[in-house]
Amino acid sequence: MRASAKNDARVVAEHGLGARIGRALVYLLLVALALLTLFPFYWMFVLATHLQTDIFSAPPPMWFGEALQRNYDALLARLPFLRNIWNSFYIAGLATAFTMFFASLAGFAFAMYQFRFKNVLFGTVVASLMVPPVLGIIPYYLIIQWLGWIDTPRAIWFPAMASAFGIFLMRQYIASSMPRDLMDAGRIDGASEFRIYWSIALPIVRPGLATLGLVTFIGQWNNFLVPLVVLSSRENFTVPVALRTMQGLIQTDWGAVLIGTSLAVLPLLIIFMLASRQVIEGLVAGSVKG
Amino acid sequence: MKKLLALALASLLTASVALAQTTLTVGLFEPLNEHLDRVMDLFIAEHPGVTLDVRTLGYADHHDALVTYLATGSGAPDVVAIEIGYIARFVAEGGLRDLSSEPFSADQYEDLFVQYAWAQGRTADGRQIALPTDIGPGVMYYRRDHLETTGWTIEDVVSSIDNYIQYGRDLKAIDVYLVASAASVADALIRSDVPAGSGIYFDADGRPLLNSERFLDAARVAKTIRDEGLDAEIGSWSNEWYEAFRTGTTATELSGAWLGGHLQTWMAPETAGLWGASVIPDERLLSWGGSFYGIPNQTPAEKLDLAWELVKFLTIRPDIQLQAFKSINAFPALPSTYDDPMFDEPLEFLANQPARQLFANVAENIPGVLTFPGDMVAQEIWNSALTEVLNEGRDIQEALDEAQSLVERRVRR
Amino acid sequence: MAKTIAPGTPRLPWSTRLDKFQRRYAPYIFISPFFLLFAVFGLFPIVFSLYLSLQAWNPVQGLGTMRYIGLENYVWLMDDPWFWRSITNTLWIAIASGVPQHVLAIPLAFALSRGIRRFRHPLTAAYFLPYITSAVAVSLVFLTIFGTQFGILNQTLQYLATAPWSAWLFGGLADALPINWLGRAPNIKPAISILVVWQYFGFNVVLYAAGLATIPKDYYEAAEIDGANGRQAFFNITLPLLRPMIFFAVSLTIIGNLQLFDQPFILTDGTGGSSQAGMTVVMYLYRTGFNWLEMGTAAAIAWLLVLLIGVLTMIHFRFFGRSGLETRD
Repeated sequence: MRASAKNDARVVAEHGLGARIGRALVYLLLVALALLTLFPFYWMFVLATHLQTDIFSAPPPMWFGEALQRNYDALLARLPFLRNIWNSFYIAGLATAFTMFFASLAGFAFAMYQFRFKNVLFGTVVASLMVPPVLGIIPYYLIIQWLGWIDTPRAIWFPAMASAFGIFLMRQYIASSMPRDLMDAGRIDGASEFRIYWSIALPIVRPGLATLGLVTFIGQWNNFLVPLVVLSSRENFTVPVALRTMQGLIQTDWGAVLIGTSLAVLPLLIIFMLASRQVIEGLVAGSVKG
Repeated sequence: MKKLLALALASLLTASVALAQTTLTVGLFEPLNEHLDRVMDLFIAEHPGVTLDVRTLGYADHHDALVTYLATGSGAPDVVAIEIGYIARFVAEGGLRDLSSEPFSADQYEDLFVQYAWAQGRTADGRQIALPTDIGPGVMYYRRDHLETTGWTIEDVVSSIDNYIQYGRDLKAIDVYLVASAASVADALIRSDVPAGSGIYFDADGRPLLNSERFLDAARVAKTIRDEGLDAEIGSWSNEWYEAFRTGTTATELSGAWLGGHLQTWMAPETAGLWGASVIPDERLLSWGGSFYGIPNQTPAEKLDLAWELVKFLTIRPDIQLQAFKSINAFPALPSTYDDPMFDEPLEFLANQPARQLFANVAENIPGVLTFPGDMVAQEIWNSALTEVLNEGRDIQEALDEAQSLVERRVRR
Repeated sequence: MAKTIAPGTPRLPWSTRLDKFQRRYAPYIFISPFFLLFAVFGLFPIVFSLYLSLQAWNPVQGLGTMRYIGLENYVWLMDDPWFWRSITNTLWIAIASGVPQHVLAIPLAFALSRGIRRFRHPLTAAYFLPYITSAVAVSLVFLTIFGTQFGILNQTLQYLATAPWSAWLFGGLADALPINWLGRAPNIKPAISILVVWQYFGFNVVLYAAGLATIPKDYYEAAEIDGANGRQAFFNITLPLLRPMIFFAVSLTIIGNLQLFDQPFILTDGTGGSSQAGMTVVMYLYRTGFNWLEMGTAAAIAWLLVLLIGVLTMIHFRFFGRSGLETRD
């Protein structure tokens, strides 16, 4: 009786004026923030439809112009751009697929097992994130050259499979979402350790895995330094390297560059939509009970 | 006559280099690639069996990647372009072939080039590391309308630094700025009137000069301009900068001759006829920009002849240089081209002033200065000290003394 | 394994031995791909740069020209004013851009999951967009936004400072406007921090959203039945259960923010800006190595930075690792 009275009160509160205003305020804040993050993005598309001269007028244009076709033609005249997009897609795709597998596997091990040297090994994983990559470029080039991988995509995606970030993320995610009893339950059912990872852990951590896939794909897609030095022919260039070849000593055809960046962001948006469904739906559904 | 000579020379070269199918890689950046694309067929026609693999990267990326390739001893293109801002470190510190030596013997071509550009590609001990392909004689672009309004003549404005500043004061009365940034005036002053046999930042013995009178004076002039509110405090390559050119809120700009072409094509095309070009105030002579070609040490021996052919093709050939001037507005480094009718043409954008004669005249008279390994870091330290003086109100002597000791720390090592 | 089985003991059937083997070594096998790849591609660069930090080396002269100078690079850096300036800059920007990211992202993720019912997808997507956008586009757009005369940021502030409805709050700014964001030393670090927050808070929102998905829904239902309001649910359920994710995200921010490069590089055109006010450690290291060709010194800068990151990460692990690294039971 008392519980139901409370429930009624809650229902009233939820539909009351105060709650309504509260919710409206939340929406207002959320939307206002979204406008702040959307604006530069919108502007990138706008500027992609203008000539260089207009891009640099002051105040700069805020609405779409008429140079879209011209900029697109200029881009294609300068770069094998669709080929560049494919290269990026290929490299990012392979790197992402392998990273998701290896990182979740290692993250699973670090989260669910006790083993010798575990802390030292995990510490190594985290510590490897701390070394700034700029300086590694010279020794890295030596390795790639020694392997004979110069100017090939695998020079980029193969090493990228070792993702310390991914392992750390998956360790945290699995540790907080997978109950330990499930391990034992699986073992009692006679499942192998790999089977437990594959059939029990992976389905539970889908939101985390989707996040990892998303972040890895974007990271590889926008990766610049390594492709710059290990790729040498423009047919093999990834999108960021290709677009930066248009940045000249004095003049850069910004209209063409921006149409390129706008096009290059579309695959990422699709990937994001796919991944965020996993994340958001996981949010709505809640998770396995502990 | 000249054309005939060039042709004869070209056929001679072709005969001397008989080569089977070879691929030559060339590393460069925009806009040099546009020029090479246009003249590539000619080179191939003159050197049958050659294919050129042109590797274009972003301007800064090209130089970063080059450092990596030289460091690891592999991956560098057979021929590389180097921009003036980076030339000192490659000239002074290695990585590129000494073109003065056999089989290149580049020194025989010295007289073909304007003197200072040749010197920029040369080590202090006399080894030619890179050959200039285009140059940027320093000039002043000015708005004719403001000159008229204030009743000045351009000869008076540039006759001395004091006059130049006085012109700025008169401009202020009509709400026009003298120049976009006072720092560019200071830059022009430190890079001109360099004593013979010295570098810009270092004397002949390699001692830094950052608190010498030349630098102190330059900083004082810039500070006067800033303190009196005569400059617009606008950085180069910003929207504000372009807008100032379009609306005429700044009356002069010190720069390389190349700026005019960019003003005309995209920065401020609608201002055609409003501009003029002159020497830099106080008739200072200095260079502002330029590019070079060189050959990395790692270029394999069997490609050296061909690589050298390409370097010469892009640097010592008057016809190719003129072509670059026409297509990408790269000012030729060869005085022999200055007799071309192109140089007498009145330029519509500059109110029909035949300004190229002026540019050529400046180019031929800029004295050569020595190049030092520390030039790039010294320039950075100078820039930093200057911004502290101009933007943060730091005392000139104090800022430059500190700059001097910072450079000393770096080169003493 | 065979050694441990005494002679005469009946040998276990294959399947049992295999089973024991896989149970015992499973974690090592699971982590081995990372460590194998790391040994090939990660270890050598690290050892190389450690070795390099003890050398004087101009890279354009080739590998053979290194000269051993012991700790000279480190000693030199200890009284190099630009190095210390880059350290303070980096710490300043790391804090000013790091703290708001999380203060913003955690409640946002919570609001997205519990505060609203509709538009979750598009809103999350909007916050995430800056993280997707390429550095090239970001650079151009933000250089324009931060412009002094016509920059949108200054125009907005100008409006806010003069419009009647907002003047009471922003009016104090009127005298300072227009702000020279990228030209004056005191403004550069705030400008960089604004860009960093803009670019990364959405990334953290997604991380936290994924973390929130691990919190069973019935916890909230139970709390509601007990009469807890949204604020109480946030502080008593969300925050404690989100700890592993917060720990992870904060670790990443510490490590990532101390290695900031792109944003300051873009906004200061690679120079570090007036008085090097925007020169971060990694920028300094890049310029020292690739522009000024002192690769040995650059390596030493890198290792001093690793040391700094390591110490701060260790402090973070020491204070928050117990709860941040805990596993569910």
